[in-house]
Amino acid sequence: MRKKLISVMTVGTLAAGVLSGCSDSSGSTEKKDDVLKIWSFTDELKKPITKFEEKNGVKVELTIVPIADYPTKLKPALESGVGAPDIFTGEIAFLKQWVDAGYWANLSDDKFGADKIKDNYIPYVYDLGKDKDGNVRALSWQTTPGGVYYKRSLAKEVLGTDDPKEVGSMMSSMDGVFEVAEKMKQKGYKMFPDEGSIRWFSQGANPQPWVNENQELVLTQEKKDYMDYAKELRAKQYTALAPEWSPSWFEGMDKPIKVKENGKQTETQVFSYVLPTWGLHSVLKENAKTTAGDWAVTSGPSPYFWGGTWLGVYKDSKKQKLAYDFVKMMTQDDEFLTDWAKETGDVLAYTPVTDKIKSDFSDEFLGGQNNYEFFLDQAEKITPGIVTKYDQQLDTLYGASVLQYVEGKKSKDEAIEEFYKKVKNAYPDIKVNN
Amino acid sequence: MKKLDRYGYVFIAPFWVVFLTFSIYPVLLTLYYSFTNYSGAEGEQIVGLANYTRLLGDSYFIEAFFNTIKIWGVNFALQIGGALMLALLFSDLQLKLKGLAFFRAFFYLPNLITISSVALLFGILLDWQHGSLNMMLLKVGLIDEPISWLTQPVTAQLSASLILTWMWFGHSFIVVMAGVSGISKDYFEAALIDGATRWQIFSRITLPLLKPILLYIMITSLIGGLQLFDLPMLLTDGLGSPDGALNTMVLYLYNQAFKYNNYGYAAAVAYGLFIITLVFSIVIFKGMFRKEQAEKKGA
Amino acid sequence: MEQNAEARRLVPQTEEPKRQLRRPEQPTPPAEKRAWFGKGVIYTGLIVLTIICFIPFLMMLTNATRSNEEVLSGFSLLPGTSLAENYAVLSDYVNIWSGFKNSLIISVLVTLLSGYFSALTAFGFAFYQFKGKNALFVFMLVMMMVPGQLGLIGFYELSKNLGLLDSFIPLIVPAIASPFVVFFVRQYIQTVMHPSLLEAARIDGASEWRIFHTIALPMMMPAIATMSIFTFIGSWNNYLMPLVLLFSPEKYTLPVLMGFLKGSQVAENLGSLYLGIAISVVPIMIAFLFLSKYIVSSISAGAVKE
Repeated sequence: MRKKLISVMTVGTLAAGVLSGCSDSSGSTEKKDDVLKIWSFTDELKKPITKFEEKNGVKVELTIVPIADYPTKLKPALESGVGAPDIFTGEIAFLKQWVDAGYWANLSDDKFGADKIKDNYIPYVYDLGKDKDGNVRALSWQTTPGGVYYKRSLAKEVLGTDDPKEVGSMMSSMDGVFEVAEKMKQKGYKMFPDEGSIRWFSQGANPQPWVNENQELVLTQEKKDYMDYAKELRAKQYTALAPEWSPSWFEGMDKPIKVKENGKQTETQVFSYVLPTWGLHSVLKENAKTTAGDWAVTSGPSPYFWGGTWLGVYKDSKKQKLAYDFVKMMTQDDEFLTDWAKETGDVLAYTPVTDKIKSDFSDEFLGGQNNYEFFLDQAEKITPGIVTKYDQQLDTLYGASVLQYVEGKKSKDEAIEEFYKKVKNAYPDIKVNN
Repeated sequence: MKKLDRYGYVFIAPFWVVFLTFSIYPVLLTLYYSFTNYSGAEGEQIVGLANYTRLLGDSYFIEAFFNTIKIWGVNFALQIGGALMLALLFSDLQLKLKGLAFFRAFFYLPNLITISSVALLFGILLDWQHGSLNMMLLKVGLIDEPISWLTQPVTAQLSASLILTWMWFGHSFIVVMAGVSGISKDYFEAALIDGATRWQIFSRITLPLLKPILLYIMITSLIGGLQLFDLPMLLTDGLGSPDGALNTMVLYLYNQAFKYNNYGYAAAVAYGLFIITLVFSIVIFKGMFRKEQAEKKGA
Repeated sequence: MEQNAEARRLVPQTEEPKRQLRRPEQPTPPAEKRAWFGKGVIYTGLIVLTIICFIPFLMMLTNATRSNEEVLSGFSLLPGTSLAENYAVLSDYVNIWSGFKNSLIISVLVTLLSGYFSALTAFGFAFYQFKGKNALFVFMLVMMMVPGQLGLIGFYELSKNLGLLDSFIPLIVPAIASPFVVFFVRQYIQTVMHPSLLEAARIDGASEWRIFHTIALPMMMPAIATMSIFTFIGSWNNYLMPLVLLFSPEKYTLPVLMGFLKGSQVAENLGSLYLGIAISVVPIMIAFLFLSKYIVSSISAGAVKE
């Protein structure tokens, strides 16, 4: 009996010990005072962080949360302060929500002095980081106009030229895009990986926010037309049925992929990917190894922009100065940014550097093309006032409705109706006038 | 009350402190939120029954209810049918099948795997174009066209049901088997002597004696089934795709609360789910009770 | 809050036969040949069923060793050569092992707490007479029927207000109150332990705590062990609670980590994704190899209370 008692007691103390131990460990990350914590939704900050660590002799811990969960996971951390990072990034799709939520420290404050550097940025990038009172909450190093990346070899074979200007002029309207797509099909190639590729052109053709200042949902005619274009792409078999971000989507950048059509499996190549500036270094270069050098970028039927990463300092961070040092390196450091641009091909929003490098920029991956001038040119056509805090969820909901129409499960009207209903359901505060 | 009986309070005290704090209080707090428009930030307003009236007319919730029932129902029929058949085979006195321990363990195995892993696994196995299942079926020649398992409502729900069956029929088999082996062998032997067929033994002896165990499996499985969440969450996009066919009640609750921050409404959804569960349980219990009474009277 | 989902599946009792039937004589000799043929069919059927049950795992294992390209290009049950590469990609983004560690810490503590405190509570309910005892017990039973999701939002808010978000505490401590385990253990101890034993120990001068720890607890062990299996499995598989409560990836439990995997960059490489799933599954399979007898008999024992 005594033995049993002892064993029970041991288990009890053990449990108590481990329990207290684990509550300790949950607090221990804060104890490590020298660690700067950063949260983001991609791994693109990995290299800059290594540089920052070397330069400042500090340790930086990067936490990456997939973008679909990112706001859901980060919000409670920021709200409660438990496990909250010192720096966190915001994607353009939920940026608006966050600059006004007050989680980011006010960078217009004198101790940061972000107001003084206003003129060094492409205006829209700087303005998007402001809250409703005009205070800067977050900064970004990049500008994200979009383009169409295509494989030069296929362009030469099918279109007779691989020159970005000529290819761009062939695709300067939706009709043009479909003509090129038909030519690609004749040779056994696919114009795009999936139908969603062309959604950005509908945004660019008539830039309107999803929700206007009266809290009304705005579904433009262009966005409705996108449904028909998408359906046509599918019906005419111009796509490789490889949904965005799926493994086959990535595979198609580098190698021929298999597509099953009419009961047969055929091998095909994907001609083009509709991606913005960052698509070059964080998507294409990462996945297209054998096709490196065979790419070029040009413009589609309408200019558009997609994504962009802003970063700011958490308001309750105890290491605000160090944290802002990192933000400064990422967004204002001439030397770092010059290296970054040359290494990745990312198009910067910081004009002192872009002015210096744009004229003789060339990227090996793009067969020596100067993507910098092309994108800076595109950046001027951006209408940035259309970003709303609902973008991420509404894009998702609309995408689902479009797919229903494309796959023939619903008529166009029904699919749109469905979209309205879902918006109402998710956001009772949005007025849906249909 | 004897002096030592005070220890009764001492011994149950930790339970009650924790129970009141972490079970009862949250339930009441949720009830309060269900009458408000709470959206995650302080300063919620009381909105009366607005959330509940919205719930009654919410086609997504109603759809979620029917989805849940459909997915659970098909799964349950297959699960219990399979379990019964296996149990009968293994308990058959004439067959004397061997390897019960082996098969039982094998069939049970999927039940131990974390359902998130299962959902993730099937999510990619069932991909219509690059999923290994379609590729295998094509190779073997069972199908000519890849099946869009997870992009059509009917097949997606069926897939979910089959995955649940795969996970649970081994468990039910063990439980039913335990029930069958609890039945005295004398019954079967006597029936065999009387020349009863297998079917007669099954329908007149085994099934009636197993009724309590089957009903219990049904109730627990139903309560678990009404709370279906992990599988639909991770099988497709977490929003109930395709076409809302995998939108279950708890998934809806989760999305309303933690994706769209409509905490107040989500709280009402939770209570709606609770009431549904309650009604189902009562109906089943009552049905069981009444039947038993009728039987007693008839005897 | 959810640990009991598994335990709820337990079945109290089958009916014992009410009438004794007459003793059988020799069973009629079966038609040997036909039975033999029938058995062959049945075994074949069982083996096919076993294969069907196992094929998803088999695909998972082979695909975990193949490259993204190979997985995309076709089906094969032959292992590939990209295991190391897949692991490198996987561990670049996600630390599966930390998910294991977290799940293990939580599940073990939950099981211990639930076992010990349920025994204590069951003991208090079974052998002491105090005011309100029956009312409390009935209340507990009623609350047992309440699904865990009912209090989810309140539970989240409570944890937020107590500053317990993103910690293991709200996942562990509630295990102290596991009504179903209390119910099960109480039923058990009432049948195996006679109150006179308690009196005898008191006469010997043992304190109440001592009686609980040295006499009652060991006697309750079989029931606690049975319940512990379900508590452990329930906690190990719990997805919703940690999903809502934890937000730092290094604290994720295995199920949450699986969801995380799906949205992460690992999902760009199917081979790595399969490998991640396989790593979450294989240790459980190995553990089951050793524990299957025990687990199966626990389910049976829990199902048919004798």
